[in-house]
Formats: sequence, C-alpha cells, structure tokens
Amino acid sequence: MPNTSLTIRCATMGLLLTACTPIGPGETNPSTTVDNRPAREGGTLRVALSAEPDRLDPTVARTLVGRTVFNAICEKLYDVDSKLTIVPQLASALPEFSADGLTITIKLRAGVKFADGTPMDATAVKTSLDRHRTLPGSARTSELTSVDSVQVVDSATIAIKMKTPFAPLTAVLADRAGMVMSPAALTAQGENFGTSPVCVGPFKFGSRIAQDRIEVVKDPQYYDASKVHLAGVTYKIIADANTRFNNLRSGDVDVLDGVAATDVDALKSTSGLSLIASDSLGYQGITINLGNVDGVGKAPKPLSAPYASPLATDKRVRQAFELSLNREAINQVVFRGQFTPACGPISAASPFSSDAAQACPKHDPNAAKALLAQAGLSLPVKVSVVIGNTPDARRLGEAIQAQAKEGGFELELQPVEFAASLTQTDAGRYQTFQIGWSGRVDPDGNIANFVRTNGSQNISGYSNLAVDALLDEARRTPDTAKRRDLYGQVITKLHDDVPLIYLYRQKNLTGASSKVVGVQVYGDGLLRFATAGFAA
Amino acid sequence: MSRYVLRRVVESAVTLILATIVVFAGIRALPGDPARTLAGEESDPATLAAIRATYGLDEPLPVQYLRYVQKAATGDLGRSPRTGLPVAESIGHALPVTLQLAVFAIAIAVLMGIGTGVVAAVRRRRPAEWGANAIALLGLSVPNFWFGQMAILALAIAYPLLPASGFVSVFEDPVESFRHLLMPATVLGTGLAAIIMRQTRSAMLDALTADYVRTARAKGLSSAQVVLGHALRNSLIVVITVVGLQLGALISGAVVTEQLFVLPGFGKLTIDAVFTRDYPMIQGVVLVTATAYIVINLVVDLLYSVIDPRIRVGGPAL
Repeated sequence: MPNTSLTIRCATMGLLLTACTPIGPGETNPSTTVDNRPAREGGTLRVALSAEPDRLDPTVARTLVGRTVFNAICEKLYDVDSKLTIVPQLASALPEFSADGLTITIKLRAGVKFADGTPMDATAVKTSLDRHRTLPGSARTSELTSVDSVQVVDSATIAIKMKTPFAPLTAVLADRAGMVMSPAALTAQGENFGTSPVCVGPFKFGSRIAQDRIEVVKDPQYYDASKVHLAGVTYKIIADANTRFNNLRSGDVDVLDGVAATDVDALKSTSGLSLIASDSLGYQGITINLGNVDGVGKAPKPLSAPYASPLATDKRVRQAFELSLNREAINQVVFRGQFTPACGPISAASPFSSDAAQACPKHDPNAAKALLAQAGLSLPVKVSVVIGNTPDARRLGEAIQAQAKEGGFELELQPVEFAASLTQTDAGRYQTFQIGWSGRVDPDGNIANFVRTNGSQNISGYSNLAVDALLDEARRTPDTAKRRDLYGQVITKLHDDVPLIYLYRQKNLTGASSKVVGVQVYGDGLLRFATAGFAA
Repeated sequence: MSRYVLRRVVESAVTLILATIVVFAGIRALPGDPARTLAGEESDPATLAAIRATYGLDEPLPVQYLRYVQKAATGDLGRSPRTGLPVAESIGHALPVTLQLAVFAIAIAVLMGIGTGVVAAVRRRRPAEWGANAIALLGLSVPNFWFGQMAILALAIAYPLLPASGFVSVFEDPVESFRHLLMPATVLGTGLAAIIMRQTRSAMLDALTADYVRTARAKGLSSAQVVLGHALRNSLIVVITVVGLQLGALISGAVVTEQLFVLPGFGKLTIDAVFTRDYPMIQGVVLVTATAYIVINLVVDLLYSVIDPRIRVGGPAL
C-alpha cells in the first residue's frame, strides 16, 4: 500500500526523478541502552563531552551538549520515550487541548520539590514559562511566540492561552522551554542563574570550571531518588575526538559522547567497551542559495555574481546535482558506513515518518547529465561549495566533488572555519553550503524555519507558497496521522524544488565502559543517566 | 632615578593601552559574528539582534572599547557570554595549571638536557655522544602532538601506568599531581631538553679545554669533581640563559599539550575562546598576558638601572 502513493508522488516530482526508493524503517534504531544488569549504589560517572556547554540557564541555553547536562539536572514538563513518543515528566498527563486549540491545560505531578527544597507548583511553572517568553536575550522566545499568556488554575494546574493553535507546542515543552526553574533561585541569582542552576532532576548542580568540567551530584529531594544509583556525574570537556576515545580506552572516562565514525570499529574490537548507537533526528546536507541576497529572513531576490549560478535559477540543474550524488557511497567512503543515508528532514525513527518522507531520488549521473543538457548548459557546470575546515568536512567535500564530476559538475570547495561560515552564509555570500541540523522531536522544528518563506533559518532564500500553506496547516493540526501526511506532501515538493539536498543522518554514537549499566540514548541524542550506575 | 622610573612606567602604560587596542581590533577583524556563534543553531534575526543588544555588540566599536577599558581598569574583566562565568575566575583556574605544567616541563628538560649534554661532551666521539645526539635530534624533530599520542597509547592504554588526561594541583595531592603531569610535562619538555643538551654540550666542550680545568686536573681533582664542580658549573650560565629565553616558547607550546592531555590551562582557554568568538575571554587572557610581559620587562629594566646607573641617565648600555 505505501508504495502506491509513493509512486504517484515520485512521478510528479520531475522528468527524471523516475526511481524513488524509500529508506526503510527497518534500518532504524530508535534507541538503545547499554544493558539491564543490576547497578550498585554510589560512584561518580565520568562522561566526556565533545564541546563546552553554554550557559546552564534553560532560558538562554542553545547548545546540544548543554541539553545533555540539563537532562541530569533540569527536568521538563514533557520528555520523549525510547520510541520518541512524548510522555509526561513534570506534568502528570499529556496536555488537554480545547476544541479551538487556543487553550492548553497542563496538570502537574504532585509533591515535587526543587533541589533547593522549594515546591515545584503551578506558580513556578508560570514563572519559568513567562521568563522563557520575555527575558531579554531568551533563546526560547521564538519557540513560544504562539503563547499569549500562562494562567495558574490551581496549585497543580496551568492553562496556556494561545494566540493561534500550535500543535508542536507539546514537543517544545519537551525541550528547554519546558524546563521549570526554582523561583527562589531565580530571585536570588537573577541573570546569573546559569552559574548555579536550581531545577528538578535526578542530580543537582555541583560546580563548574570553564573548559574543564561540570559536576552534578545526586539530589536527595528528587521525587524518584530511590531509582537513582549514581552519587554524581562529572562531565569532562574533551573537544578532540581522538583524545576522547583514548580517554575511554585508558579508563579515564566511563562514557564518551560522540564517538567518531572512524573510531567505531576500534571501539567495537576493544574488550571492556561497548557502543550505544541510535539514529539521530537531525540531518546533514547541502543548502543551495536560491535568492538570499539581503540576508537570512529577508525577501528573496535574484542573485548576482559571484553567487549567481544556474543552480539558483533552474530546478532541473538542482535536480541534476542531487542525482549525481551517491549517498550510500558517501556513507561508506567518508563515514565507514556508520551513518544512515537520508533524503529528507524527518528521521525514519520519528512517529511522523512516512513513505513520502523517506522517498529518495536514485543516484543516476547519466540522468543528471541529460537534465543539464535539457537545461541548455555546457559541461561542466561550475559550482562553489562552502564546507567546514575539519578533516571530516574536507573528506565529505572531496567525496561530493568527485561524485558531482560524474554528473557534469565541477565543484570548487571553499573550506571555511565554522563560525565564519555561518556569518558568511547567513548573509547570502555563497552558492552552496554543506551544513546540517541536530534535529528536533517535532518535524516542524526540522523543516519550517529552513524552507518557509522568510523563515528564520531559511538561508537558501527559498519560497514556495504551497509549502508555506502545508506547513501552516500542519502547525494547526493536532492529529499525528494528518500531520504525517502533510509533512509527506511538503517533502515531495521539496524534492521537486530542491532548495537543499539532504545527504545523511548521523548516528548518536556513544561509547561506554562495560562497567557501566543503564545508560540510555534515544533519538534526540541526549545521554540519560537517571537510572545508570556501575555494575554490581 | 625617580624620573627614569616614571618614564618607564608611563611607557609601559602606553604599551599596555596599545596592546588592548590591537587585541580589541584584531579579534573583531576575524570573520565570524560572535552573536551568530552564541546563537548556535537557533539563530534568527530577532535573536541575533537581542544578543547584540544584551552584550553591547551593536554599539560603535570605540564605545565598546571604552566600556571594556573602563571595566578592566577596575579589575572587572566581565563574564563570558557563552558560559556566563566570570572571565577573571576562569583565568584564575587556568593560570596555575599552565604554570605548574611549565615548571614541571622545565625541570624535566633541565634534567634531561644537562644530563645528556654532559655525557655528550665528556664522552665525545663515542657511542654515548651519538646516543645523546640522537635523543636531541628526536626531541627537536618529533612534534608534540604525535609524541603525546604515542605516550598516551603506550603509558595510559597499552600499559595503564599513568592517567591519559586531567589535572590535580600539586597543592592538593602532590603524588596524583605528579602522576597527572608526568606525561604532559615530558612531552612538552623534550623540545627544550634537546636545545639545552646542545647548549650544554657546546659550553662543556669549551670549558673542558679551558686553562682552569687543566689546572684543576693538575691539582689532582677527580674527574667527577672537575666535570661537575668546575666545567658544568661555568657552563650553566649559558643553560640558564637558554631556559629563560625558551620560557615564552614553552608556554606557547603548552597549547597543544593542554589540548592533548585535556589540561584546563591557559592555552586551552585561549584557543577555545577564539573558536567560539568569546570576546571578553579573549580580551581577558590577552590583557593578563600582556600585563605580565610588560610588568616583567619593567621590573627587569628597573633592576638593570639599579645595577648599571648608566642606563637610567640615558647613556648607552655598554
């Protein structure tokens, strides 16, 4: 049944997108845990993080590694389970939506205390949500723009009044916007809350030394403290992948976040170590500048030299570019087959995945050349690609360059340091850009900002009113099955217009000592230690 | 004398101000918007504008500079916009790490360098000298990052004798501190050891042919007394000069070693701040470094003037 609708959609995608093959859900690995051996009480787990988290203040925090630390110390109204289904955490049940979608009622878990001993109640939730919405410099403001006000119904119930219906709100509240902070600590610490955060969690903040470590210790006030085995967790910041791996091998850390794909075989063959792998919700791809002249978020315009290219003006050229790329070969050659080829923004592990969402144009360099001939272009078509300056990024760039050559393209690789590349491409000073996204539980967070007209992260300058309408409808629709279908339609249109070429989905690769049990890593990539411990 | 001191202090202050201007302008000339870096993935024009407003990045550069200088003059180096931690506190944590590493590395370099240098000079044109020369050549030509990786593989993984990373202060636990710093200090010190070896050997060869050594031998002193008590003692002047000159290079070289052994030192702090465009942190570390250099130079100049009065009266130092 699935392939019928898929074939129809593929046929409409364009002249030469004749062979669409779904990336099957059978290849997905939604979550994993080390094992379920019993854990002894006590011990401090040493975890190597790949980067320094930013401020440990849920309102202003922005980094993925920061989310991993928050997972230990700041619980949210909602969380995801191993199947990436949203489940209550500090809330006692899933939210109740009014018929018009404009009032959302959330009931809270009873008897919960913050790490400072003060009660976690409706007033605290309102204080936190209002701070997320209004604090100058808040990173949560844009996630909560659809919220009009937050009202305390009783000590264990809040009502969120919406300006417009916004189905992804539950997923938003399963991330930092749903973290509840101690009002007493907020009053005491003000804007420096992040230097000593106080929330609800299996662990509470201990200390932090910049560029070195963050220490959290077991919180006896935690409502589920009896299930917490560890005395604490020390997060060590080790930026270099090789050094991180060496530290795991030497026993200087117990868990390693972000195993390099090139180290996976060595890790698997080392006794005493194990690999936890799960499909990520994010993606890596190539964004094509179609009309970003005045900067991201501004109305698209025709590009001029040196950023103008046939890619920007003719979708057949973009389709040809995509056809020239062999995702499986990229995965094998650059990442030793450790990642998952991807053709769209929705992970196959997501409840919103569908055949349409996983449809994939087949690698066909001859078809690519035929499309370029049809577009009246002489070969090779010259294209520049901004890539990162790390060894992995360069290897990826070179693989893409070699493959595109077979399809009639001559790629000029422009390695740029990461921070500089973001500024450059935000401003529209590029033809194509190899960039990715870490992924969110709700597909809206993986699609809308990137492809919606004037979207906040639409660095492509792409605009398709039909896509905008579908995305808006998906935001208004609470029903998962209907939203799944709407996002499938969006992705079909994206495959036709090709504002960006999705290439692969990284795996969340976590290394762990076999002494450690109960570590959980879901598709969101966060390390969960609430029930972890050292084997008894 | 007081006029000279005043002149040197004013000159130093001007140098410091120029250093702050160069650093302030230099890091802003780097491509890459700090607001964009701070915003991370969730960047949108409104967020970027809010970040710029929060950290004063939307103000004219001279205003930003004056605000920075005004705060720095009162000892307030600001907070890192990225982590929210006070810059002065972060520097306070990092400096002792690098200093302990540098002191340990110098100790190892001096021990290795002088030992092999003396052997090479005394056992000239024999296998001992060739061995010492080979060690020196290796020390000079093997890059720290490779040597460090090999040391970790051998001594932390294959034979787990030493920890692969981390830092323990010598004042907290001297034994653990020694275990944690032995590998990184050895890796950092080998380059310097090679230079010291070459200098020691050369100075010793000169000394061993000097008249006073021949006299010492003629007086019937033992070979050890002649070599260690007379020749080496006089050769050490050269060695001390070299160590002094190489100290700056050693601290610069600590950047790689700190990254490799995950030591939360000054070099690691600086590099990470540059990659994340953490302006207050970069300005803070450079200000502290520049101040240290300028104060040391000032003290040295003033000491010279005490020793040699011709300097302070403006005449050429002969």
